[in-house]
Amino acid sequence: MPQPISAQPTLYPAGPPGSAARLRGRRCAACGYVFFPPQDFGCERCGAAADQLVPAELKGTGTLLACVTVYFHPLQEPTTPFTVASILLDDGPAIRSLLVGAGETEAQCLEPGLRMQAVLTPAGTDSEGTEIVELRFAPAGPGTRDVG
Amino acid sequence: MSADLSDLRPVHVVGIGLHPYRRGSETPYVDLGLTAVREALADAGMAWADVESSFVGNVNLGFASGRVMLRHLGATGIPMAQVENASASGSTAFAQACLDVASGIREVSLALGVDKPALPDLAPTKTGIRDLTASRLLPVAHFALLADEYMHRYGHRAEDLAAVAVKNHHNGALNPNAQRRRTRTLDEVMGEAPLAGVLTRLQCCPIGEGAAAAIVASDDAIDRLALDPARAVRVLASVTRTERVYAAGHDHDAALTAETGALAFGQAGISPQEIDVLEVHDAFSIEELLYIEALGLCDPGTAPLRLSQGAWEIGGECAVSPSGGLLAMGHPIGPTGVGQIVEITRQLRGEAAPRQHPGSRIGLAHMVGVGAVCVIHILAAR
Ligand SMILES: [Zn+2]
Repeated sequence: MPQPISAQPTLYPAGPPGSAARLRGRRCAACGYVFFPPQDFGCERCGAAADQLVPAELKGTGTLLACVTVYFHPLQEPTTPFTVASILLDDGPAIRSLLVGAGETEAQCLEPGLRMQAVLTPAGTDSEGTEIVELRFAPAGPGTRDVG
Repeated sequence: MSADLSDLRPVHVVGIGLHPYRRGSETPYVDLGLTAVREALADAGMAWADVESSFVGNVNLGFASGRVMLRHLGATGIPMAQVENASASGSTAFAQACLDVASGIREVSLALGVDKPALPDLAPTKTGIRDLTASRLLPVAHFALLADEYMHRYGHRAEDLAAVAVKNHHNGALNPNAQRRRTRTLDEVMGEAPLAGVLTRLQCCPIGEGAAAAIVASDDAIDRLALDPARAVRVLASVTRTERVYAAGHDHDAALTAETGALAFGQAGISPQEIDVLEVHDAFSIEELLYIEALGLCDPGTAPLRLSQGAWEIGGECAVSPSGGLLAMGHPIGPTGVGQIVEITRQLRGEAAPRQHPGSRIGLAHMVGVGAVCVIHILAAR
């Protein structure tokens, strides 16, 4: 069976569904700034150009800052309601991500400070039938395997 | 050596005009803009021929919107430019007009904001940088997340945020130029389904059409054109800043407002507690609380308590969003920042009945825009 593919390969590598995910960030060799999402235009903190921006794999672990359910959304994807969170990654950047089970998760139940883990979730198949995985976050717990 | 407004010659708002904010219609933007400019000229008591430059703020009209509209006032050949700076487009047009006069280059300049509702063509979606949520996160979700964080940090409830919308709809009901002119009870604001998190429809600003104009002039122009100096309102500070890299996990919008505000208070030589009238970028209810605190009007986390005590009402300690703010007066984008100047000028002249805040001497206009940018002006009665 072919390996799953990442829904956003520039942002995170693929892996088996249900496994812990890592993120593809950048670190500025000139000033040490670690950022996500990755880009090679230049360092937002010091202005260093692409030759100073090195790939940095970020652990998919962090702390919940905030979390809300979105009930209204004019675009097709994703269908509402869905749940989005702000997460401060242990490796530095603060990011926003959908949560596992978006649409069912009761955002109100998740308190800031909660430990969070990025997980690869099934997101259908491509035209050749290869499984696609998408990165979502979930409360860290026994259900997720931390390979960070 | 660089200079700021306090180093340059005085500049005053001498004329204000509005086209009411409302839902999008078939009316051409030219009608909206000309209505506001003609009202501002009449308010100032001057002719179009007296205006020496113009800056037109908008985001949705497409390029070259200015002269094809303003030529109908008489094609005097003055320099004109369009200004786009996201939600702060009108504020930036006003800043340019102020600098044109304060620098000594012109005696009289016009800032006009005019816009029509449209699906925005957002450059930030064209950078080639993708993130995890792609295009999925609308502003309402962004501010709902900030609201969630704020409520958890200080133990505030959804009602504390909704109370902002109750106050601003009360003010909007007193403003004939507001898009929303109905008072709303807390139950009405809370009673609708939320769009994201705790933010219900009435805690999110309506985006419609409209126009706002402000004419600024030097002391020499006020003398030469025999304008009424008692109705001129001095611009004490004009500060524009853009976001820097703040500590991860901190509210960037509030941090940007705090540093822009500190510079503006320094330029004006006043303290936050001296502000009588405040118009902030309350596109969402939570924003008003965050910016009141970021500007230093009260301690972090205490804005809801002060609101419940009446501090931010007309007649309170500082009237916040007396126009109705973006929540009730509306946010037609291009006009919004100039409309704040119009409201503050009216308040400082004592001409804002029935929503006049008594004893208004100093007002502050604050806008933020996608990017992020922040523009603050401080105005003072003569
Ligand atoms: Zn750097």
